[in-house]
Amino acid sequence: MDIQFEKVSYTYQVNTPFSYQALKDINLEIKTGEFVAIVGHTGSGKSTLLQHINGLLLPTEGRVQVGDFLLSRKNKRQDLKKLREKAGVVFQYPEHQLFEETVERDISFGLKNFQVPADEIQTRIMDALEKVHLSEDVLAKSPFELSGGQMRRVAIAGVLAMNPEVLILDEPTAGLDPKGQQDIMNMFNHLHKTKNMTTILVTHQMNHALAYADHIFVLADGSVQMEGTPKQIFSQADELKKANLDMPDVLSLIKRINQMFGTDIAYERRQPAALAKEIAERLRENKRL
Amino acid sequence: MMPAIEFRDVYFRYNEDAPWVLKKFNLKIKANETVAIIGHNGSGKSTIAKLANGLLVPQAGEILINDRKLTTSNVWEIRQKIGMVFQNPENQFVGTTVKDDVAFGLENRGVSRKEMIERIHTSLTEVGMEDYQNHEPHNLSGGQKQRVAIASVMATYPGILLLDEATSMLDPRGRKEILSTINDLKEELEITMVMITHDLHEITLADRVIVMNEGQIYIDTTVDQLFNDHQGLQSIGLSLPLTVELAIELEQYDYQFATYPLDNEEFLEALWTSNLKK
Ligand SMILES: Nc1ncnc2c1ncn2[C@@H]1O[C@H](COP(=O)(O)OP(=O)(O)OP(=O)(O)O)[C@@H](O)[C@H]1O
Ligand SMILES: Nc1ncnc2c1ncn2[C@@H]1O[C@H](COP(=O)(O)OP(=O)(O)OP(=O)(O)O)[C@@H](O)[C@H]1O
Ligand SMILES: [Mg+2]
Ligand SMILES: [Mg+2]
Repeated sequence: MDIQFEKVSYTYQVNTPFSYQALKDINLEIKTGEFVAIVGHTGSGKSTLLQHINGLLLPTEGRVQVGDFLLSRKNKRQDLKKLREKAGVVFQYPEHQLFEETVERDISFGLKNFQVPADEIQTRIMDALEKVHLSEDVLAKSPFELSGGQMRRVAIAGVLAMNPEVLILDEPTAGLDPKGQQDIMNMFNHLHKTKNMTTILVTHQMNHALAYADHIFVLADGSVQMEGTPKQIFSQADELKKANLDMPDVLSLIKRINQMFGTDIAYERRQPAALAKEIAERLRENKRL
Repeated sequence: MMPAIEFRDVYFRYNEDAPWVLKKFNLKIKANETVAIIGHNGSGKSTIAKLANGLLVPQAGEILINDRKLTTSNVWEIRQKIGMVFQNPENQFVGTTVKDDVAFGLENRGVSRKEMIERIHTSLTEVGMEDYQNHEPHNLSGGQKQRVAIASVMATYPGILLLDEATSMLDPRGRKEILSTINDLKEELEITMVMITHDLHEITLADRVIVMNEGQIYIDTTVDQLFNDHQGLQSIGLSLPLTVELAIELEQYDYQFATYPLDNEEFLEALWTSNLKK
């Protein structure tokens, strides 16, 4: 499902003293099978934007096209159930999407709602639990009697179980332990690669945007301030600073190494082991000169 | 010096059928110390914080705050000195506007009206939320909620500050700014600080790092020494900061690191020195 935002503006609580314009004339395009990262300072409009993709919010002005669905004020009354089945959102705070009495019922809620056969529900639940590294004994527990990171995992499992075509992730690694963050990002990336899943990731971890995204949108104050490949975005440190963001650590580090030793090491999405090897080799060459 | 927080043989479980989350748990945190608590999901970090401010009550053992045993009769009074930022800030909003939310904790502590206005202004400015005074806390963005929760707690000038993943929704720069603000306040007011976090950069602020594993202290150490046991840490659900990982890999190529570097500058310095010696 291709996604297109055309001149989208969104104002919260229109006609009240709390009225607040969170999106301003957004134009953007996300192609089927792309991995897109959306980054931006606190309050720049990332979560608001995400919620337009599955129709949780409708644009105040402009329109959003998601596959066959046209989302706009004029088109308020259409049935969005099919869209929600295909575009799954993991919310910024897991508490916002957990509501059932047990974890099992929570994960199966969507499946039942979309008439997935009973025997398949069981396999989907097990498969989803495995993807988020939770053991079966959480199934009988209340989702609200879990630790923050465990809740996060359940929320992710619930969305994965739906096998969405578009996976919409709002800070999905917040609250996960460091190993969980790596595992789960790799899992998302694997799904994206093997199932051609369109993945839209809101993240404050520039390292994740750099390592996984095909394309990055930088939001500032409700507008798209920059867009491009990670390489393009992160070669403009000054622009990024204007959006109140920092460079990913790994790029700042490589840059400083290059300055210090006169090398020209490039990142190339190297894992730490490969990067260390590259550093060692370049420094050795350097000594020989 | 007397400890600010002390756990003595504490046993805690959420209900009778559940396994113990903490079992004969002991911990002493000195006054003015900054302690980071890290550990895998479900290892018991938030439970420790909630016990320390009396939101949860242990089934056995005792908890002392500034050398006074926490009991049901003094918990309200003792909690006045403790500021806690919850893992989900939504659980702590009490005001209908951001300004009221900050004011609430101050009113509770009998701060004068004049000083209240000043503290509200300062604390909201410090977290970058001065323009949102009249917004409703529940209608803020994820990161704004965290900023307001931090401001509300900082404004009360707590003697003990418990931060439970208080900056998890902030970008690295925002996080640095907020933490440095908190640090300034800490220097000024002598605050004992416990930071629960999954962010391995954040721990560099701490004097001491406690690693939790399945309800027990796996290691109680300093930031510098923490990654010496990198294999052990990885086996219990932690990972390594990039600079540590690179240093470990570079050891294979005969680079030497006296301690594992925790940030880019430390890494560069160590790499430079080690490269000269080669
Ligand atoms: N309200 C609750 N009722 C029952 N069990 C709970 C409750 N809260 C937490 N637990 C359980 O207690 C254990 C410790 O949870 P705690 O919240 O202290 O972990 P944590 O270290 O803070 O984890 P995280 O990093 O995920 O926040 C976990 O096994 C969790 O499932
Ligand atoms: N329900 C609401 N009512 C009024 N204003 C709102 C509401 N929700 C969000 N806002 C405002 O809209 C702006 C954008 O919020 P949004 O949640 O999209 O930000 P964000 O980029 O996701 O930020 P964060 O990184 O902090 O999560 C913020 O200034 C916020 O205060
Ligand atoms: Mg958000
Ligand atoms: Mg916790």
